[in-house]
Amino acid sequence: MKALEKIEYDRYLKGEKLPHFRSLSGIELKEFYTHDDSLQDLPNPGVFPFTRGIYKDMYRGRLWTRRPQSGFGLPAESNQRILYLLSKGMTGLNIDFDVATKLGLDPDHPLAEGETGLQGTSVATLEDMDILFKGIPLDKVSTTLIVNAPYSAIIMAMYLLLAHKRQIEISSLIGTNMNCAITQLVGPTFQSGTHFFPVEPAIKIACDVMEYCINNIPRWNIININSRNIRETGVNAIQEIAFAFSLALDYVRSLLARGLEIDHFAPRIAFFSCIHIDFLEEIAKLRAMRRIWAHLMKDTFGAKNPRSCWLKIAIQTSSLPLTAQQPLNNIVRATIQTLAAILGGSQSIHTTSYDEGYSLPTEESHVLGIRTQQIIAYETGVCRTADPLGGSYAIEKLTSEIEERALALMEIIEKKGGFLECFKSGWIESQINEARYEYARQLESGELIQIGINMEREEDEEFKINIFRHSSDMQEKRIQYIRAFKQHRNATNVNKTLKKLYLQVKENPYGNWFPAIIDAVDQEATIGEISDTLRQAHNFTVHY
Amino acid sequence: MKNRKRILIGKIGLDGHDNGIRIISKWLADSGFEVIYLGLYNTTEGIVRATIEENPDLIGCSFLGGGHLHYCKKLLDLLRQHDLEDKKLIVGGVIPPDDVTELKSMGVSAIFTTGTMRDPIIQKIKELVEA
Repeated sequence: MKALEKIEYDRYLKGEKLPHFRSLSGIELKEFYTHDDSLQDLPNPGVFPFTRGIYKDMYRGRLWTRRPQSGFGLPAESNQRILYLLSKGMTGLNIDFDVATKLGLDPDHPLAEGETGLQGTSVATLEDMDILFKGIPLDKVSTTLIVNAPYSAIIMAMYLLLAHKRQIEISSLIGTNMNCAITQLVGPTFQSGTHFFPVEPAIKIACDVMEYCINNIPRWNIININSRNIRETGVNAIQEIAFAFSLALDYVRSLLARGLEIDHFAPRIAFFSCIHIDFLEEIAKLRAMRRIWAHLMKDTFGAKNPRSCWLKIAIQTSSLPLTAQQPLNNIVRATIQTLAAILGGSQSIHTTSYDEGYSLPTEESHVLGIRTQQIIAYETGVCRTADPLGGSYAIEKLTSEIEERALALMEIIEKKGGFLECFKSGWIESQINEARYEYARQLESGELIQIGINMEREEDEEFKINIFRHSSDMQEKRIQYIRAFKQHRNATNVNKTLKKLYLQVKENPYGNWFPAIIDAVDQEATIGEISDTLRQAHNFTVHY
Repeated sequence: MKNRKRILIGKIGLDGHDNGIRIISKWLADSGFEVIYLGLYNTTEGIVRATIEENPDLIGCSFLGGGHLHYCKKLLDLLRQHDLEDKKLIVGGVIPPDDVTELKSMGVSAIFTTGTMRDPIIQKIKELVEA
């Protein structure tokens, strides 16, 4: 408790003031906004350019999908958590894999030694995938597979083969493969995008998977441009949009260069964005994103199908505003962030747990995220009409300002040769680092306030919080599993299929390599073996 | 500047979250330290190799993914094996309270969990390198 002499009576009498009136992205807000500030022409929800939402009836037609990420430890442990969450109100799967899996390393690889199962579940074989989805009808749920290219090809192959094994038509599958080679791990930082696989072949393989899915799985989202992870590096909302869309345009051009039609694949491109704590700016951001994307698809690429112009946004509320200090405050923050995601018109939401500053969520904190969404949906009434904030002078003005600034930055990136060029040249990396330093500077100076950090901080804070703990023997179990698995399969078939994949890459550089990857998984090659084959075919070695 | 204290900064293992090491490296450089930035994806053996080559005054490692106990134990053991136990190790990142205690008893000199402000970090590091 505060000592009595520290109570600042003066401050209370004078009235408290904010340190400034700038948004997180540096937009200076006016004292108030009027009719003159807002856009005159504001088409209805469900009408191009979809600023007010992609559907006319929005959440009256259907609520967003409650799609919390889950995944840890052994596939069987994750399976239990998934089934538990489904029983508690989760309406879509969002499966996270551990970093070794996401880097194409088997659990017995020396680099996986201390990593297996930590930040996601460990999956190396088709058998693992079967265990992960035990008791889950693949044709009755929509599933997001959180894995980056090129390893997304291997995980996708497992998912397709699992459906086949269970006699489910792959054309009936609904879901999303994150499938981005640059943003999916931890955002577009240079080292994370280049250390384990050469970036251009990774993008090529991502496009191979996309092409296959477009032709064979009509309701599958072929890529999820991960603007959330871009944002979580510390950049602002303007940079988040500009980086994500510039990257998306690189993918769109790659697919067009394969001879695919824009209206054939654009409806299957999805976005995964973040909601930071700046309530008005983040709502305006989602609205601005929809408007920019719709115009890009129609005006730049000549899309004729309205669905090509739909920006479908999945959200995970940002972790950056959450604090390890006074962790219960995070429940309040995440609730406000979730409300912004809903008022911004998103299609699926993961409400980040209040224990984020310590570990993966416990069962209790995971369910609390689901309940947060249900309370907003069913109790607050905000879903009774589409885009309830539409027409607000401040929101419409912010939407336009964010749109203008993001377009200006996209133009700069375009002039520098596009996102991929900017990534390779290190320009993106330097922009990210500058943004991080600025974010930290503002926290230090008090321009940016975080309760519990630089305001109302309690030194020697004591609190009770349940923290998730991994099972102690999971890493050893995974190593034993993968060794036994490799001993008990037909080694000749594995070698043959890997050789075939190697030759396919070497001799057919413009062909689609995904079918050969599917064959390799089917012949019981592991994720590490397939990844190594792809690396060898590109004369690439992982240094450690 | 003469006699600048040298600090080796890096992440061990496969976790790629580098916000922390980027910001701390900037703060250290601004405070007059020489930062040897090892970035992501180091092994414990690699950190020891760099310690031998660079002879830093302090080693700083950051963790977010939950690998801190495993890697710190391994690193401290390796440093001892190479007679480098005088090289102090500091750790930053997402570390649950019980693990802070365990890391300290293992021999980690200071632990800065998320939300620690710049000044207390720099002050503690100055104390450690002057000691």
